[in-house]
Amino acid sequence: MAARQGNSVLGPQSSALTVRRPFWTFSRRGSLTGYLLVIPVCAVLLTLVAYPFFYAIVISFTDRVVGNAGHWVGLQNFRYLWNFVSFKRALTNTLTLVLVSDGLKLVVGLSLALLLNERLRARGMFRSFILLPWAMPGFVAFLTWRLLFLPIGGAFNLILTQTHIHAGIIDWLGQRSTAMPAVIVATVWRGFPFWCISFLAALQNVPQEQYEAAKTDGANAWQRFWFITLPSIRHVILVVALLSSIWTANSFENIWLMTQGGPSDATMVLPVLAYFGLASQRLGEAAAVSVAIIPALAILVFIVAALLQKD
Amino acid sequence: MSGTARVSRRHFLGGIAGTAAAAILAACGGSSATNTPNAGTGSTGSAAPTAAAAAATSAPVATTAASGSTPASTAAPAVISSTGKMTYWGGLIFSDDANNLQVQTIKDWGTQNKINIDVVMINQNETNQKVAAAVTSNTMPDALDMGLDLLLLLSNQKQLLPLDDTYAKIGKAHGGWLKAVDTAVDPKLFGGTRNGIPYGMGGNVLFRRTDVLKKAGFNDAPKTWTELSDMSEKVTKPPLYGMAFAISNVGDGNDMVYIMQSWGGRVADDQGKACTIKSPETKAFLQWVTDEYKKGQFPPGVTTWDGAGDNNAYQSGQAVFIKNTGSVTIWMRANDKDLLNNTLYSAMPRGPKMLVSPSSPVIRGVPKTSKNPDAAKALLEYLANKEFTQKYYPLAIYGPVLQDETTYDLFKTDPVHIGLADLVVNGTAPAFPDVSNTAYADFNNNYIVPKMIQRVVIDHYDLDKAIDEAQKSGDAIYAKYK
Repeated sequence: MAARQGNSVLGPQSSALTVRRPFWTFSRRGSLTGYLLVIPVCAVLLTLVAYPFFYAIVISFTDRVVGNAGHWVGLQNFRYLWNFVSFKRALTNTLTLVLVSDGLKLVVGLSLALLLNERLRARGMFRSFILLPWAMPGFVAFLTWRLLFLPIGGAFNLILTQTHIHAGIIDWLGQRSTAMPAVIVATVWRGFPFWCISFLAALQNVPQEQYEAAKTDGANAWQRFWFITLPSIRHVILVVALLSSIWTANSFENIWLMTQGGPSDATMVLPVLAYFGLASQRLGEAAAVSVAIIPALAILVFIVAALLQKD
Repeated sequence: MSGTARVSRRHFLGGIAGTAAAAILAACGGSSATNTPNAGTGSTGSAAPTAAAAAATSAPVATTAASGSTPASTAAPAVISSTGKMTYWGGLIFSDDANNLQVQTIKDWGTQNKINIDVVMINQNETNQKVAAAVTSNTMPDALDMGLDLLLLLSNQKQLLPLDDTYAKIGKAHGGWLKAVDTAVDPKLFGGTRNGIPYGMGGNVLFRRTDVLKKAGFNDAPKTWTELSDMSEKVTKPPLYGMAFAISNVGDGNDMVYIMQSWGGRVADDQGKACTIKSPETKAFLQWVTDEYKKGQFPPGVTTWDGAGDNNAYQSGQAVFIKNTGSVTIWMRANDKDLLNNTLYSAMPRGPKMLVSPSSPVIRGVPKTSKNPDAAKALLEYLANKEFTQKYYPLAIYGPVLQDETTYDLFKTDPVHIGLADLVVNGTAPAFPDVSNTAYADFNNNYIVPKMIQRVVIDHYDLDKAIDEAQKSGDAIYAKYK
């Protein structure tokens, strides 16, 4: 209206000065389209990821039980957990399981990836074969490992006794010194294929020219691995380590099917402890157990993100 | 022109908004419309139970009439008010035949009453967790099987429909409820109402290998736990072990609680308010059980056994004594007649202070969120009919809950069922001598007693330190319920 008035009163010369650009410019229209296209993804992320995540955190500060929304109790659940003997053990065991099993997965996964990246006979078959533990349903894998570790009739004890390496029965899952290592072995076996395949994919993208140049310069195999291979697949190692750590920290079936957290909390981890909390229908406490691992994982995420950013 | 265009766009957008709002309102209206019949059902609440009651009684009557024991009703079967679709969560037990019979009977009843019933059988070790998720997400079934612990937890949260009328009706129709059953679901423990219908009494019976024991000169069942451990010591020769009792973080591991109670140890005080596990009696029990463990009388692996650990040990011939609800018998009948013939059953032995041999009912309940409460009640009433229970008891190893059921031949001829019937009469109430409440259930859900034993035999704690730790955990748990 102002423009129109100016037009009529001040004449065509001044109207040129007062003409405004149309609001819906091409770039604005493009931006709007972009936002509209992103909205569904944001909505899905908010609904399926952010909402449950923050809701679990909120619940952990309440005395919520099944059928009763409960009240805000501040840090009461966390104080209770801190005084609960099993919680500290679960925290330590969870960190041990993550660090040791992921360390072993890295070694096994990388070694096999390097091997499968070489020109071997039946390489394709081996590459497919290596995926089997990962493709197998978790409950089948861990129940099988449980059977292998059985004190009477278990494969490992049979091998040891039949070969006269050890005369007596070893209760692999029933004593503190061997229970966690047994669970770690099973967890590594189930999880290393993901590492291996990821590393293999990364290795195939390392330019061969670099190796050839290094060879020409007289670099030995170890030097080529250390100065070319590792830096080239560093990103993949970081991302795989991050994902695997999160999965391992939240893994339940490996412990539940093999030891139920026993003997004597020797293999108790946070997800199993949360499950016990759920059995008592105390959702606030169970959520607090689950939330307790978040700071450790968050630190890990920030470290990995920082390292990736640095590159 | 542009002004006109702007106005028309606004109109257009307004029109869209209006249409959307109308659609949302319509949807809300639709849901309230669909609620209306429900509300109607609710408003005809007084009529609905009458119809349901008529239908419920008509169904069993029709069944018993067919068997000729009761005069047939001449009235046409009443229509049970329902949405036409129901969900039932059954408790999975070791006997496939019993599970199948239950599913089929429920489905047949549904067909007879024009209700499509989805029967989902759930591993009883996971019912608590599934129910927790279902209550939270408002997806509870119309009826479900559960144990006493879950009944207690759900009753405390007012999640179950009172079933006093159905309970009374079933009792009246079948000669009354057995005293132990009646006491176990006493309204005083569950907020003043009967919130569940018992359909079997479960409990452990002591299994013993007669062939092994006779060779060692033992012909009778052990009367005390120490007598049992003495007998066990004489017959344990790896890979055969005397005391195949779980000490792991599973339900079977909690059987150690009642053995401790038979020594005089208590989880809590008489009011059920404060944990009192630290006592000389508990220490005496802990001394006994850990000594026996150290002597090698328990099979290796008992500290991490799952719920089938004792089954596997006995069935593979590695155990002389086990405590079991009867699932092993089902397996032996089908797979190992020799072992079956070499097995005898007896009640739990006494401790130095008392006999604690808990029997506990399995229960059917109706969640308050059920969309078919009348049909669910009618179904529970139907499932108490003689024709079904006479077929069900031999397959599912449970003791009787109703007076009339005690007359079934099975409870006079079959050794396991005789033991279970005896347990119902002479067994102790759940949690006895402690108070069965949510704190007690929480205490057991955290496996404090088996863990206390594990601390000594696995971590080599001294007895006092292990008991102190159990007391600390128990204090933390009981403090939550004050």
